[in-house]
Amino acid sequence: MTLELELRGITKRYPGVLANDAVDLAVHPAEIHAIVGENGAGKTTLMSLLYGLFPPDEGEIFVRGEPVRFSSALDAIAAGLGMVHQSFKLFPTLSVADNVVFRQEPTRRGLIDRAAGAARVRELAEQYGLAVDPEAIVEDLPVGVLQRVEILKALYRDVRVLILDEPTAVLTPQERDKLFAVIRRLRDSRRTILFITHKLGEVMAISDRVTVLRHGRAVAHLVTAETNPAEITRHMTGRAVDLDRRAPDHDPEQVVLDVENLTVTGGHGRNAVHDASFQVRAGEIVGIAGVAGNGQSELIEALCGLRETDAGTVSLLGRDITYADVAERRGAGLAYIPEDRYGVGTTRQATVAENLLMGHHQEPKIQRRGWFDRGAVARLTARLVEVFGIKVGSVADPVATLSGGNLQKVVVAREMEHGTPLLIAEQPTRGLDIGAIEFVHGQLVEYRDQGGAVLMVSAELSEILALSTRIMVVFEGQIVATFDPRRVAEPEIGLYMTGAHQGAAVA
Amino acid sequence: MLRRFLDELRSMSHRAVVSPVTFSLLFAFALAAAIVAVTGGDPLAAGAEMFTGAVTGSGLRNTLGRAIPIVGMALAVSIAFRSGIINLGGEGQMVIGGLAGTIVSIYVPGPGAVIVPLAMLTGAAVGALWAMLPAYGQTRLRLPILITSLLLNYVARAITGYLVRFPLSDVSVTLATTRQVPESARMPKMPIFGGVSLSLILVILLVALLWMVYTRTVVGYETQMAGFNMRSARYGGIDVEQRTVQVMMVGGAIGGLIGTHLIIGEALRFIDGELVLSGFAWTGLLVALLAVNRPIPIFITGLFFSGLQIGGLAMQRNAGVSWRLSQVLQAVVIVAVACRLSIRRSGRRRTEAGEAESAGVGEI
Repeated sequence: MTLELELRGITKRYPGVLANDAVDLAVHPAEIHAIVGENGAGKTTLMSLLYGLFPPDEGEIFVRGEPVRFSSALDAIAAGLGMVHQSFKLFPTLSVADNVVFRQEPTRRGLIDRAAGAARVRELAEQYGLAVDPEAIVEDLPVGVLQRVEILKALYRDVRVLILDEPTAVLTPQERDKLFAVIRRLRDSRRTILFITHKLGEVMAISDRVTVLRHGRAVAHLVTAETNPAEITRHMTGRAVDLDRRAPDHDPEQVVLDVENLTVTGGHGRNAVHDASFQVRAGEIVGIAGVAGNGQSELIEALCGLRETDAGTVSLLGRDITYADVAERRGAGLAYIPEDRYGVGTTRQATVAENLLMGHHQEPKIQRRGWFDRGAVARLTARLVEVFGIKVGSVADPVATLSGGNLQKVVVAREMEHGTPLLIAEQPTRGLDIGAIEFVHGQLVEYRDQGGAVLMVSAELSEILALSTRIMVVFEGQIVATFDPRRVAEPEIGLYMTGAHQGAAVA
Repeated sequence: MLRRFLDELRSMSHRAVVSPVTFSLLFAFALAAAIVAVTGGDPLAAGAEMFTGAVTGSGLRNTLGRAIPIVGMALAVSIAFRSGIINLGGEGQMVIGGLAGTIVSIYVPGPGAVIVPLAMLTGAAVGALWAMLPAYGQTRLRLPILITSLLLNYVARAITGYLVRFPLSDVSVTLATTRQVPESARMPKMPIFGGVSLSLILVILLVALLWMVYTRTVVGYETQMAGFNMRSARYGGIDVEQRTVQVMMVGGAIGGLIGTHLIIGEALRFIDGELVLSGFAWTGLLVALLAVNRPIPIFITGLFFSGLQIGGLAMQRNAGVSWRLSQVLQAVVIVAVACRLSIRRSGRRRTEAGEAESAGVGEI
């Protein structure tokens, strides 16, 4: 049987890094093939080579037995490959439908038939259970929905081989199961799926075969039915890891953040957050669970001063900060790990040092009358790099050279360093590998143990369950339930997240 | 601090050898030589005339003199560009500030030591206020600075045109012009190279000051980070709106300084339209782009462009080759450098590695 896709001896070098080292990969037609490995193991590089984003230094790629040499993604698309990237490639100012049909617009009498495009997108969305409004403008949509748009893009192109790069990171358990159903349906229609992940549960649940990457090498080719999570973990990391850090019992002390009747307007004049009231106390981690796009981003942005508050009050340690600007809020005792570490958390053109300095640059120990104390700056950045184990050649390197995990360490290090009473952590481990997740979780727990108050948003329910002292579920901008993580089961939270519980109550 | 400044110069001269600018210069000169040869001239002779014309005798004085407004206007616009603000209003800021400074120099009595600085400060203040208009337009009314600053150039031109035709007109001459700046209120010349305006020192001080501000101060850091990524800057607590207004005003102030210098140090009369015709604001803008908004490269590039223009005139005089050739040279250098930079930039995007330096031009 001809292989759908074959890679032989693929090698890619970057200055100082061997990203892929003689990787072999054999993908059979109509199979779900998982590619697993920690971040930095070379998964994304490998997929980028396969997708024609840049050429390999050595090695060959075969599609259905034919050697190919893609000089751009267009060649790969022409060969029937489709890819859903980890960081989305969408036009922010266009609608969902326009993004999906881009370059393959349906036409009528030579003009783009937008109605037909939107109808086709709606049809696809319904067929695969991907809830997306085709008319919505992409920049108004939260990250979770953007991913659905990306998946729709590939489906619209009727791909033979679909590459999914960490597709489940922003989905709820229910959504993930729906995505898996989509993937299985695609396989049953003789399509091939390459599924990149580092979550073993998903590998076991969905894949037919597994290729494990470590340090740029393909270290194992396994058949899923004949292996187990422990074996895969061993191949990935060479050690066993423990991700479960349940919070010890804590006496909630002082109220740090007090939110009352907060209402925030979202993209289309709708209330993104409606009448939300809650408190976060010292020494606790409050986890906000919810499907991406239910007002979490708007809530956090309003709390941090990046979005206008329409009604209600927010106070931090008793001080009213409802209408304060970002600098005042930070000064009042708030640090913030944002969801989008590429676009908000860091500045890619700037150096590691400049990024570590952001938010600290006004502090009296860093500057005097507007002039930097260069010694203090150097000490601060060097210490953060060391304490948080940021892997970087020099702090003068552009931050764009860092991997996703290292980049997140830059953000986490910088925000932790403030030592503020309140830390807001939004999707703090999204897209990170096991080692980095462990690290970030450890930092959050330590922060809490030292009496810090943490407000955490995560689409990863396991993360919420593992870390939170209290869980709040948001649905359509409202806090619909609050749970004690010790007295609730995952499926029940899931019901609230999807609004199913509410529907049942009304009916 | 001086040593650091010199270190910076040294490392830059090292980078210059391998930079795309060197390549582009060679390419541009080769092309210009080819044009001269094809049209029947002697490229070597033309080149020699151009060079000697730019750096010897009165040529050197003129090169330094012309570098003052070119470098100055480049600094003025680069401040905004560096913060991600596209200020195309350099010309208007220069013209309106220049007239304000001129008015002080003509109508306020007093000794030169008082009047000259007062005229320069007035020019700077009015330039800053003029630049504040588009800045507030953007931060308060969401009118893009790119558009408003450009359109305000025409308004500045019209206002100054009216003023020098009517209230301020010197009726003893047939031109639409102000009276002559009295001798005592003129920018003094330094006794070097046959008399270079004292403003050169001012421009050099500005280069050094901006370099220090950019590398050493919180304001320099905040404006740079806002220019790189506004969302991240806002997230980090930087008041982007306030910085926008400040940056525009500083740029406008420098524009007003240069405008005033051009009258009280060079032309001595504010003749309607003359400052606009000089094209210094736009040459300065190109210099800022080429030098990626960094002060020291701006100084070097500005000197070079000035030399090209002055040398071009000498070449026309002595070798019979049109001075337009130096404009061709200037244009080819810009296009070649821009191409190289954008290639490097897109290459970097693909590999997510490489130097951060080349970012500026592609973005503007």
